[in-house]
Amino acid sequence: MLRSCTAGLRSIWALRGRREGAPRLSMDLQPARRLFSTEKVIHKDWALPNPSWSKDLKLLFDQFMKKCEDGSWERLPSYKRTSTQESEDFKTYFLDPKLVEEERLSQAQLFTRGFEDGLGFEYVIFKNNDEKRTVCLFQGGPYLQGVPGLLHGGAMATMIDIALGSCTGGAVMTANLNINFKRPVPLCSVVVINSQLDKLEGRKLFLSCNVRSVDEKTLYSEATGLFIKLDPEKSST
Amino acid sequence: MLRRGFQAAVILGHHGTLPGATHLLPRFNPASAFGSSMESLVSRFCQEMKKSKNYALPNASWGPDMLSLYHEFLEKTKTNGWVRVPSFRSNRDHIQGFKLPLDLSANSDKSDWRLFTRCIEREGQGYEYVIFFQPSEKKSICLFQPGPYLEGVPGFVHGGSLAALIDETFSKTAYLSGEGLLTVNFNIRFKNLIPLGSLAVLNVNVEKIEDQKMYLSCVTQSRDQQTVYAKASGTFLQMHLEEDSSRQ
Repeated sequence: MLRSCTAGLRSIWALRGRREGAPRLSMDLQPARRLFSTEKVIHKDWALPNPSWSKDLKLLFDQFMKKCEDGSWERLPSYKRTSTQESEDFKTYFLDPKLVEEERLSQAQLFTRGFEDGLGFEYVIFKNNDEKRTVCLFQGGPYLQGVPGLLHGGAMATMIDIALGSCTGGAVMTANLNINFKRPVPLCSVVVINSQLDKLEGRKLFLSCNVRSVDEKTLYSEATGLFIKLDPEKSST
Repeated sequence: MLRRGFQAAVILGHHGTLPGATHLLPRFNPASAFGSSMESLVSRFCQEMKKSKNYALPNASWGPDMLSLYHEFLEKTKTNGWVRVPSFRSNRDHIQGFKLPLDLSANSDKSDWRLFTRCIEREGQGYEYVIFFQPSEKKSICLFQPGPYLEGVPGFVHGGSLAALIDETFSKTAYLSGEGLLTVNFNIRFKNLIPLGSLAVLNVNVEKIEDQKMYLSCVTQSRDQQTVYAKASGTFLQMHLEEDSSRQ
């Protein structure tokens, strides 16, 4: 199954193109040093503990894994590249017949999984299917700094985007995000993002979340988001 | 240069929510608060640091669009008052000699900590950007060329990575326009996806300054302005930085 996933991904890279008029990037670039070039590692599940995880994060992870035992919760795996199914969906909507720079795109990887252990985003998402909500445990590493000593607002926005998206299914895109920052998050601390689907109107998904400290005493931020289900009938452009 | 009679450190830790005017320390005097002139802010913030690498300079990964627009704005720095904002690995480099308000500096800032939008060192792989600021109009332009490590939807920029750069551009603009420091609110509407490797231009304006808060807006579009990628707005809290006499 892993092999066919990779083959699927490769053909998608070949077929995908760029928007009309987009400039060509210089081809003189050396390819980025490929830390993870083997198939096995491309399909590594990153939503699992590693040595950079703090005690707090590991403890919470264990608590939620326990909740998964009776099937009421499930842990969502997380890969560096979009899954084959998701890629197929986007290929349908965004296919551009123009030639693609395959070499450049083969270096692409999901933004939040491009860091070495502990330096960037360490996170895992647990989903409660009955209640249509998710809990994301997030530890922001030293490369996510904004104001010295604090987590960058944009890094928090990225995680909120991911957490809200985890409550959706199928091919969706973020349309709007609105975030109220209440307290700054110290860099390298662990926060818990509770997200839920509030309302579904046709193809519009209205979601909300809050970001709290592990002991739940501090509310760091609250956010709402609008995601749109992509319509297989329409093209995107 | 910045010694004032008042103590203006806003301490967030003592309040459950971000302070409005009523939660300010009693000695705070809004009228004289942000007296640091923009000139002094800009000159202090934008000075080249000998020890720190300035990332807001062209490198081999910059495509022709990015380069030509960069040179256009570089010309404007000589003639029209625009300022090219240097960009370092950590925001700490901009504020050497100054300290953050008490509660914010609780965590010691370690040397390997990096500004999020400068976290990917490898040229061309992550964020390639440069910000130009126009003091007389309190506005900025950020030229952004996203690399493959910023991918979300295959072939396109991750929405979160764009949000982060908009927040960062807001942050620099807010600071230079009046010591805006922390994001209070951030709103973004995504319109179109940005292809990886292409040039996106962020136009940021300070719309209003009121009650210790700065309100900014951003339109992110293609160079020819034919495609709008996203629109965003942000609110920043003004915070005066005290000189750190212990370091001098």
